[in-house]
Amino acid sequence: MELIVLRGDRQETVTVRRTDGGSANPGAGYEVTIGDRTYRVDARSTRPVAGAWLLSMRIDGGRHHEVAVHRDAGSRGAASGTYQVAVGSVADTVEVLDPLTHRARVAHEAVGRGGAERVTAYMPGRVVDVLVEEGAEVEAGQGVVVLEAMKMENEIQAEHPGVIRKLFVEAGQTVEGGDPLFEIE
Amino acid sequence: MSQTLEKTFRKVLVANRGEIAVRILRALRERGIRGAVIYSEPDRTGLPVRLADEAYPIGPAPSQQSYLRAEAIVELAREIGADALHPGYGFLSERAELARLCRDAGVTFIGPPPEAIDAMGSKVASRRLMIDAGVPVVPGGRDPLPDLESARAAAGEIGYPVMLKAAAGGGGKGMRRIGAPEDLAAAYRGARSEAEASFGDGSVYLEKFLVEPRHVEIQILADAHGHVVSLGERECSLQRRHQKVVEEAPSPAVDADLRRRMGEAAVQAAAAVGYVNAGTVEFMLTGDGGPDSEFYFLEMNTRLQVEHPVTELVTGLDLVDWQLRIAQGEALPEPLVQRLQAGVEPQGHAIEVRLYAEDPYRRFVPSPGVIEVLRLPEGPGVRNDCGVYEGSEVTIHYDPMLAKLIVWAEDRPRALARLRRALAETRVEGIRTNIPLFEALLEDEDFLAGRMDITMLDRKLEAGELRPPATADLDTEGDLAILAAVLVHHQRAHRQSASPAPHGGSRSRWAQAGRRETLRSSPWS
Repeated sequence: MELIVLRGDRQETVTVRRTDGGSANPGAGYEVTIGDRTYRVDARSTRPVAGAWLLSMRIDGGRHHEVAVHRDAGSRGAASGTYQVAVGSVADTVEVLDPLTHRARVAHEAVGRGGAERVTAYMPGRVVDVLVEEGAEVEAGQGVVVLEAMKMENEIQAEHPGVIRKLFVEAGQTVEGGDPLFEIE
Repeated sequence: MSQTLEKTFRKVLVANRGEIAVRILRALRERGIRGAVIYSEPDRTGLPVRLADEAYPIGPAPSQQSYLRAEAIVELAREIGADALHPGYGFLSERAELARLCRDAGVTFIGPPPEAIDAMGSKVASRRLMIDAGVPVVPGGRDPLPDLESARAAAGEIGYPVMLKAAAGGGGKGMRRIGAPEDLAAAYRGARSEAEASFGDGSVYLEKFLVEPRHVEIQILADAHGHVVSLGERECSLQRRHQKVVEEAPSPAVDADLRRRMGEAAVQAAAAVGYVNAGTVEFMLTGDGGPDSEFYFLEMNTRLQVEHPVTELVTGLDLVDWQLRIAQGEALPEPLVQRLQAGVEPQGHAIEVRLYAEDPYRRFVPSPGVIEVLRLPEGPGVRNDCGVYEGSEVTIHYDPMLAKLIVWAEDRPRALARLRRALAETRVEGIRTNIPLFEALLEDEDFLAGRMDITMLDRKLEAGELRPPATADLDTEGDLAILAAVLVHHQRAHRQSASPAPHGGSRSRWAQAGRRETLRSSPWS
């Protein structure tokens, strides 16, 4: 299986192959090639919980690491997926794409550059205030929506200068994590 | 002494939620007392209800309509025949009104008398009481200084450095720090004109300026028979925006002599207000415990503290159990009183970290959600007081504290090593937690050396320090994360594309194990 993996600025072509592992590495054996590096991995999920895996991985014979993997809601289907991966206590985003999806996306991005960006709520909460109106020009760092969760108010800001094309929420409304808040172009 | 006054509780209502409700339920069960809890709608599925003997709804999610309904809670206690009520911390725990309602309803309040709560509740009045009781308070006063000469005299009396503050003020306006007498004149004029311009009132007053003080507090126990004892101090200087984050006992800055003096002051403070039950007297400590060190009364918390476990671990005393016994009218045993009065000697070292559902690297935004994986540390010297379980939901309605991890070891270096080990064992997935911040602190030279003050954590965070420590990876670019993501992805893809054969046929043993798991409970999805 060949996959394209995106992590931060990094893009890698990765191949995964099942192996029987041999007597030194019985069980769930995999050979994974990332760029020019190949790892032999014996992986077990110690806890198959919905949407979250706690992987026990023996790598290249003996070295052991436990890594938590959490699949982002919204990554539907089997072809591609976005994962939060915690090697230590801090999770990092890793996106796994099949080559076709990746090619389609690159083509789409070339066309759609400069298009609108949709900003979503990163946690469930209540919209306390909407600070701008649709069509407003905003500067980078300018507050757009104020969200309240757990007695704390958090201002959701524009990450770059632009125009607020659409507002999806109004003051007083509750939102779930991942709900769209506004679209900036 | 007053054996006839003693009673035995058969049922106690816990008027709280989360980990502290669990802590109190544990103490009740160990004493063979029925534990009843109240719960708000979202807390119906919480851990306290699951561990309680009785559970009663108290209202919808907002605290105002549930955990803060003093009258309804006391009425419930009466209705269900509870002998006593434990308020925990937060919520109504420091409202004299709750203690009064309990008294009127014939329900024992597990805490101090309402008069003591009132006396300590007002900053101004308690300061006056403490001065009369001989407890050191921050030198200075609220009296306005009409001219430079009166300011000079006051500053000389208080001792430099001093702080000039606007009497009508707030927000830092009109505030001046003065390090030496020669700076006073200019600062006085500046502060006056700034105060005049900002508030239309140029009155200023002087207070001792405390240079990078520590927050050190004394745990006391007082029974209804006139005994008041100190159980020693807790170091609570690591605070983020006045919220304690890490607490330890003993304090790295407190030696036996200082411990004795602070303990005596705390006992005097408690005695001055007729205190009964467990309480905490908070002090600011300057000079890092050195020869020029001074401590000043800050306030008294008239309840059980979040950080009480560190004291329990270094004294061997069960504070919640003692709260129950004292409320039942029991006297502190004379041998214990005498031992503590001779000077409490902490055994070993304990450190507590407060585990919050928040992202320390995204401006500490709360992180509600379902806890999908929860593995708390165990083993030698590790205690966790936890209010959640795997699969439980952290809602947006309450304080985001999930659990307290507390370690004990023979000395501070070993306790730090144990904390590092315990954090490495911990796994919380599904929500973000502040664990990386603790890992970063465990690499911070100042913290490791025991150097801290109440401004340190905010200062370091402001300066961008305390970044998450690098985790062991296969290479500098982080192939390990990629491996894990790809294997999970491969597993999912494999499973979804495969035919739904009942026993997996040629599928991997990993998948087969997952399938066996599926047959029992949760699927691979």
